[in-house]
Amino acid sequence: MDVEDLSDIFRRVLENDGVRADSDFFVMGGDSLLATRVLSAVARACGVELDFDDFLEAPTPEALCKKIASLT
Amino acid sequence: MSVVVVGAGLAGLTAATGLAARGVEVTVLEARDRVGGRTRGIEVEPGGWVDAGAAYLGDRHTALIALMGELGLRTTPATVAGDSRFALGDGELTRPGRFPPLSAVALGEMFDALDELVRTVGADAPWASADATRLDTLTAAEWAREHLRHPDARLFFPLFLGEMMAADPADVSVLHMAFYLRSGGGIRYLNAFEGGAQEHRIAGGAHRLCERLAAGPGIRVYLNEPVRAIHQDDDGVTVTTRAGSLRADAVVVAVPPSLADTIDHGPALPAPRSTERTAPGCAVKVHLVYPAPVWREHGLSGWSVSARGPLLSTVDDSPADGTVGVLTGFVTGGEAHRFARLGEGERRERAVAQAARLFPGLPPPIGFHVTDWIGEDYSRGCYAALFGPGDWPRLGPHLTAPHRRVHWAGTETSVEFFGLMEGAVRSGHRAAEEIIATYRRRDVHA
Repeated sequence: MDVEDLSDIFRRVLENDGVRADSDFFVMGGDSLLATRVLSAVARACGVELDFDDFLEAPTPEALCKKIASLT
Repeated sequence: MSVVVVGAGLAGLTAATGLAARGVEVTVLEARDRVGGRTRGIEVEPGGWVDAGAAYLGDRHTALIALMGELGLRTTPATVAGDSRFALGDGELTRPGRFPPLSAVALGEMFDALDELVRTVGADAPWASADATRLDTLTAAEWAREHLRHPDARLFFPLFLGEMMAADPADVSVLHMAFYLRSGGGIRYLNAFEGGAQEHRIAGGAHRLCERLAAGPGIRVYLNEPVRAIHQDDDGVTVTTRAGSLRADAVVVAVPPSLADTIDHGPALPAPRSTERTAPGCAVKVHLVYPAPVWREHGLSGWSVSARGPLLSTVDDSPADGTVGVLTGFVTGGEAHRFARLGEGERRERAVAQAARLFPGLPPPIGFHVTDWIGEDYSRGCYAALFGPGDWPRLGPHLTAPHRRVHWAGTETSVEFFGLMEGAVRSGHRAAEEIIATYRRRDVHA
C-alpha cells in the first residue's frame, strides 16, 4: 500500500477530500470508531492487521504507510 | 379552541407550549405525580442533580438546543479527561482513551457492516426501503450471528447496541436497528461523546426542561390523572380519567406506543400503536454517589466498559458545581431484565462490588439510586420502544397520521432522532403545527 492508497482510505472514511499525506486523522475529525474503519480497510487491502495503538502512533497516511512497510 | 395533551413528558409539554403560544386553551393530563416522563432528576447533594433518565445531547439536536435557550437552560460538558477501565476478558485493565482492548480490525469490519446497513434504510419511511422486507424478518441477534465472525465483534456488538439504543439484539428487527442508527445521525455521531450525541448534558438536569415548560404561561397541568378513554364525536373529543372527563376540540397523545394502546379509543384506532413484538427499551440506570470523584485522582475518567453486568458501562456524572462524585452505571439489554428482577439488597451489593473492582480505592458509597425504566408503569421502558420483526410495516405508516381529532407526539413518532430528547421535541412541534394548521382553518370558516 502506498501513501496515496492510504490517503484515499482516510478521505473515504472521514468523508473529507482535503486529506494530504501528512494529515492527522484525529485532527481531521476522526475518532476511535472511524479509526477502526481505516484499519479494516487496510486489512482488506493488504492483509495487515494493525491494532488501535499502532494507529495512534501513526495517524497520518505517511506514517501509517511506514508502519505497514515495517511489518510486511 | 381547546386541546387536551395526554402525557407531560418532553413531547407533550413541547406541544402544549407551542399551542398555548398560539392562543389555544391547553390542558395537560399526566398519569404520574410528576412531570418529565423519561427525564427525571435525582438530587444527590443539595442543589446537585443527576439524570435518572434521558441526559445527553449533541450540537445536531437543534430543536432541543433552541428550546433550552428559550427556557434559560445551559449545557455542561459530558466528558471527563482520563483513562478508561475495561473488563472484557479476565480481570480489569486500564487504557488511555475510550477504545476497548479488542481487535480494531474486527470492530472496524462490524462498523463497516452496520454502516452499510444504515445506508440502505430510508430515513423518512424505513418500511418502504428497498430491502425492508428482508431486513424486517431478521432480528439483530440473527444478523450478528450471520455477519460477525470474529469473537471480539460478537462480544462488542450487544454492548454497542445496549449503549446506542438500550436494546437486547434479540428484541429488535435489523430494519429497526438500521433505522435507529440512521435516525440518530449515523453510527459515528450516535456513538461519539465529543462531536457526537453525548457531547453535553443539561446543567442542573434534563428534568428542568419539563419543569420549566409546565410552569409556562397558559398551560394547566393536572397530575395523577391517567387517561382511560378518548371518545370522539362530530363536535369534539371527550377525554376520560379516573376523576372525570374533559371536552376539547382536539387531543395530542404524547405517551409511548404501548401506553397509547391501553387507552380506550372511540372510534377504534385504524391500527395499533404497538404489537406483541414491540419491546420496551431495556435500560436501568444506577447512580453510585461517593464523597468525591476519587477515580480522577488516579487519572481515570470514570468511563468503563464491562462484558459482564450489572454495570455494562459507567460514566462520571458528578454535578459540575458540586463536591460529590457520581458514577452512573448503565444496565441495558438482557442484563437490565436480570438486574431488575433482583432484590434491592442484591442490586446494591453487585453494583457496589463491580464499581470497586473497576475503580480501586473507592470508599463505600454515600448514596445509591436505581432507576428501573422497564418497571415504570407510565413509561414501559427507556430509551424508547423497540420495534421487533414485522413492526415497521405495520406501525410505520400510522406513526404520525392523526386519528380524526387525535394527534400523536412522543419520541417514537419522530423519524428524526427517534428515541432521543431531540425526537421528542420535534414531535411536539409537529403535533402543535398539525393542530394549528387544521383547526385555525376551521375557525376561520366558522
